[in-house]
Amino acid sequence: MTSPKDDRLAMIIAHVDGELQPADRTRFEAEMAADPALAAQVARHRALAQRVNGAYAPVLDEGVPPQLLAVAAAANDRGRPAAGRLIPWAAVAASLVVGVVAGRMALPDAGPLVSRDGALVARGQLASALSTGLASQPGVVKVGLTLKTADRRYCRTFQSAPDKLAGLACRQDGRWVARTVTTWTPSAQSAYRTAGSDTPPEVLAAVDSLGGQPLDAVAERAARDKGWR
Amino acid sequence: MHGLQRQIVELLPRLRRLARVLARDLTDADDLVQSTVERALIHQDQWRPGTRLDSWMFRIMKNAWIDESRSRTRRGKVFAPEEQGDNIGLDGAAAMEARLAASDVEKAMARLPDEQRLAVALVLVEGLSYKQAAEVLEVPQGTLTSRLVRGRMALLAELDGDAA
Repeated sequence: MTSPKDDRLAMIIAHVDGELQPADRTRFEAEMAADPALAAQVARHRALAQRVNGAYAPVLDEGVPPQLLAVAAAANDRGRPAAGRLIPWAAVAASLVVGVVAGRMALPDAGPLVSRDGALVARGQLASALSTGLASQPGVVKVGLTLKTADRRYCRTFQSAPDKLAGLACRQDGRWVARTVTTWTPSAQSAYRTAGSDTPPEVLAAVDSLGGQPLDAVAERAARDKGWR
Repeated sequence: MHGLQRQIVELLPRLRRLARVLARDLTDADDLVQSTVERALIHQDQWRPGTRLDSWMFRIMKNAWIDESRSRTRRGKVFAPEEQGDNIGLDGAAAMEARLAASDVEKAMARLPDEQRLAVALVLVEGLSYKQAAEVLEVPQGTLTSRLVRGRMALLAELDGDAA
C-alpha cells in the first residue's frame, strides 16, 4: 500500500485534513500552484470532505430520545445525589447543542420531568396539566392531541411555555411518562392559540410512530373525568 | 462522577451522529448509543479525567459496534430461516424507507467496508485528528491513512462516478 500513487493520494487528503507539517504544506502548496491537475484533485477531495460532513450535520439538531438521556442520567440514581446545584431547565436546554433535554442530571427534584427507574416522569405543573387539562383550554402549559394506543393507553402531547419544552407523554402506572421531549419556544401568538397548531415536528413524528386513535373533545373530557383509566 | 455524566449527556448528539454512520437504521443507531453509554458508565473508573472523553467513548462505541455486528452475524446464521418468514416483509419495507430517506452520501458510506467507514467517519464527520482517530481505532497511523485513502476513493467513485 505504498505505491507512489497512494503516497500522492495520502498527501492530498492529509492536506485537505490539515494534517501536513508546516514545511510539507508549504512545499505542497507550491506544487499545487504549478500543477492545475493536482489543484483540481485537491478541490475534489475538499468538496467530498465537506459533503460527507454536511450529510450528517443535521443529526446534531435532532432531539435526543428521552430514553438515552435517562440512561445517561440514571447512574445518578445509584450514586450519591447530585450536589444540590440547581440549574434552570432552560439553561440545561441551552447548554446542549441539540436543544433537547431531560434526565435528572443536576436537577434532583426540580423541573417538569424527573428520572425514576429509567423513565422520565412528569411532575408539578406539567403533570397536573396532563391530568386535568383539555386541548381547548389556554394556559402556559397546554395539552394538544390526546390519543388512545392499541394497548388502551392514553398519550398526550404537551407544550410548556415556562419550561420551553414540548413532548409526548403516556399514562403508565398512574404517572405520565415522557416518550419524547424537545425544546420549544412559544411563538408570540401561541398564548391565544390552542396547542397543536405549533407542535414541533419531532413530537408529531412521535405521535405518528405511536399509532393509535386521536380522541375528539367529548372523548377527551370523558377520559379525563374517568382518571385516564 | 456527576461531572462525567453531565459530559456524557452533552456528548449524546455526537454519539448519535457517529452511530448513524455505523448502523443501518435509526433504531439500530440509538441502540448502539445506548449500549455505548451503558458500557461507559460501567467502566467509568477507567476513564482518566483530563483526557478526551469523546475519543474514549468513540472507542467504546467502535468496540460495541464490532461486538454487535458479530453477534448479529451469528444470530443471522442460526435463526435466519425461521426469522425470514416472519420479518422479511417488515424489514424490507423499513429498509426501503430508510434508503429513500438516506442521502446519496449516506448510501455511498453504507457501501464502504466497516473499517473504512469508521476511519472516514472519525476524521470527516467527527473532525478528529489522525492521531486521535488512530487511537480510537487502536491501529497505527499508517493503517488509518490507508483506510482513509481507500474509503475516500470509493466514495468519489460512487458519488462523482469515476475513480480519478
